[in-house]
Amino acid sequence: MARMKFICDTERCIECNGCVTACKNENEVPWGIQRRRVVTVNDGIIGQEKSVSVACMHCSDAACMAVCPVDCFYRTDEGVVLHDKDICIGCGYCSFACPFGAPQFLSVGAFGARSKMDKCTFCSGGPEANGSVAEFEQYGRNRLAEGKLPLCAEMCSTKALIGGDSEVISSIYSKRVAIRESNGKYPGSNIFGWSTAYGPSGSPAPKPTPADKIPGAKS
Amino acid sequence: MKFNFKTLGLCLAAGLLLAACSEPPEIAAKAAKRPDVAPYMGADNGFMTKGWTPGNQESWTEAINKRDQNQSEYYRVK
Repeated sequence: MARMKFICDTERCIECNGCVTACKNENEVPWGIQRRRVVTVNDGIIGQEKSVSVACMHCSDAACMAVCPVDCFYRTDEGVVLHDKDICIGCGYCSFACPFGAPQFLSVGAFGARSKMDKCTFCSGGPEANGSVAEFEQYGRNRLAEGKLPLCAEMCSTKALIGGDSEVISSIYSKRVAIRESNGKYPGSNIFGWSTAYGPSGSPAPKPTPADKIPGAKS
Repeated sequence: MKFNFKTLGLCLAAGLLLAACSEPPEIAAKAAKRPDVAPYMGADNGFMTKGWTPGNQESWTEAINKRDQNQSEYYRVK
């Protein structure tokens, strides 16, 4: 069974923000919400500037799932953490719990009122019918069901951001690290966020939410 | 027994106030959503890629893995 993950190669990311734009355009994400964003550290310091593209990491033991008071999250067989917007109450607990700042809220109305939570879906929609208009309007495109990968990763010009089955993408990354090392370059072998999202290497694979435990599912 | 309009009025008012505490039917209907459908079942739109059979998990996994590999330039230039 595929276990979907993202890797951002900080040695390759050039902070072009193409992934951010692609995500917003493909999913018609409203103004004020960024499911993906590029963070740069040591900006302007020659040789030390690094950029990383960050979105939901679809964690093994997702903090958002743990703290949600209405239990609107579920994990698919592919390891993608999704949520049901019909159940979400927009409380914002997930936003405080997430170490990657993935959950996003629109400010709607007065007194700091918030919309329902929105986040990266690994381009796999939500609980509505695959590829339906209802799914697109609430969650964006369902590219996985169309046999594609998330657009942010597929269109990355330097292939800094790669997404897909963890075994395949980690082997792609390992090969790069080995080639950089053999060329006498900085290998950049630390994958951003992986230890936070998936624990140390050798951690057990997460279990998908059983169908009868998905919020609101008919038993 | 003497009919008391004041008591009747209070009962009606209490009934109306309690009605506001009931759950509207549309919320109950929304909570009964069906679970998500696996991506290998395909999408009901015109954007499906070719080369795999919707409903066949193995062919979907194979198609996705091929796309995964295409993210590696070392693989593409072979």
